[in-house]
Amino acid sequence: MAKKTNGVTAPLIVGVLSVGALLGAWELTGLTGGALASVLPPPSQFLRSIAESNFRIGLGSQAATVTQSLLATFLRVFVGMGIAFVAAILTGALLSLSRVATWSLSPILQLLAPIAPIAWIPTAIVVFGITDVTAIFIVFMGVYFILTLATLAEIRRLPPEFQTVAGNLGATPLQRWVWVTLPAILPGVFMLLRTNFIAAWMAVLVAEMVGLRDGLGAIIMMGRNLFNNELVMFGMVVIGLTGFVVDRLLQFIGQRILWWRV
Amino acid sequence: MLKKTDPVDAFQVERLTVDYDADSGGPLQDFSLNLRQGEITCLLGPSGCGKTTLLKTLGGFVVGRDTGGVLFEGRYLNGPTPDIVMIFQENNLFPWLTVRGNVEFGLKFKRGVGTQKREKVDDMLRIVGLAEAADRYPHQLSGGMRQRTAIARALVSDPHVLLLDEPFSALDISLRRRMHTLMHDLWEKTGMTMVMVTHNIEEALQVGHRVIVLGDRPAKVLIDADTSADAMKDRYSPESLALQQRIESVIY
Repeated sequence: MAKKTNGVTAPLIVGVLSVGALLGAWELTGLTGGALASVLPPPSQFLRSIAESNFRIGLGSQAATVTQSLLATFLRVFVGMGIAFVAAILTGALLSLSRVATWSLSPILQLLAPIAPIAWIPTAIVVFGITDVTAIFIVFMGVYFILTLATLAEIRRLPPEFQTVAGNLGATPLQRWVWVTLPAILPGVFMLLRTNFIAAWMAVLVAEMVGLRDGLGAIIMMGRNLFNNELVMFGMVVIGLTGFVVDRLLQFIGQRILWWRV
Repeated sequence: MLKKTDPVDAFQVERLTVDYDADSGGPLQDFSLNLRQGEITCLLGPSGCGKTTLLKTLGGFVVGRDTGGVLFEGRYLNGPTPDIVMIFQENNLFPWLTVRGNVEFGLKFKRGVGTQKREKVDDMLRIVGLAEAADRYPHQLSGGMRQRTAIARALVSDPHVLLLDEPFSALDISLRRRMHTLMHDLWEKTGMTMVMVTHNIEEALQVGHRVIVLGDRPAKVLIDADTSADAMKDRYSPESLALQQRIESVIY
């Protein structure tokens, strides 16, 4: 039992100490007051500065709170990832049930998959304008193709006995898909969704930097345009922290809800 | 051992030919065999002799050339039917379902079960001795418990035939013997036709009422022995030892 407790607490303590050491070094850099301090303002400095503006960022009526920016980015990432997840599973289903669909769609998927989501930004802005849909589309394009290929790979590696057992007990092909294939592939596809979260996260931040007016990416761009390094640092820290929290949340879902392995 | 009913044929395999690869020749060519209803038949033979292929054709999972085929209860088999259920060596259970969920899966697509579902599942869990483990997941079970769950799921839908493809080969000897007893208990209760593929001669003699040894390629019946007598169940009886030696001389 003691061993188990150490197994959880030791990495936690070391991790906290390590982050504490980084923060300490950062604060010390700030105390030197040199050029480095102005490029990398420490947390005590930029947090004070942001708190003085009541955590509102921007000018006049365009100003938004940090919470609003955070929610805007979250909405874009989660809606984009959610749609991509469902679409990838449905495409995987279609491809696994129909040979003609596989022959016609597989080459298209393989051609589009290597295109970086960022490359879609100009096209998306032209088609959807500077709106949430653009960011959601970018996230979707960054995740959908990889998840579809992953869904197909998961379906192919399922033990054939699963299908035989279900068919033997009277399940139709559609019932076999719903009751056997889908639950069997969900954990694997979700694990890939978690892996691709970072890619989606980066894609939406870039979209916010180059086009959209709000969101965490826009905070950094505003800091750059105003030569305000405190704002840039604040944006970077919020991005790092929220990315970390969401990754842990996805890990939790993977371990506690979609825990089985086939 | 007494048979519950007068034996009639459950399966008539007539001039069955199965070619996986037309060039190399299939494991079954013009193969014929009758399997009696209400009996446990064990199929023995060296690897690659066609016993698993034969089992799959009995389940309708493999259909041979149209020069012959498998008659089940008087009708040609064209594909799998819920009346014939198969149990594999592994990958029988769905890891996301509990023992109860896996057994219930056996009734999921069966019409007319309705309110009796829970009762039937409870009965079956009791019969295979898994009532206490109903809420556990497959990864929390021993190998024997997993195979008992698979058997419960197969039997809960009241099939006419149970096909078993080396179901106990991954189990240790004591678990294996307990599973043999369970199979006999189930047969006593249901009188069901069972066909089991095994590599283990002792297991075949213990479990089977009839032992068929296949050999050569394409497959031929080398030995067809009635093993229902009590003397065959005593592994050290002269009759049992003689048959074991005969089978060994044919297989090895």
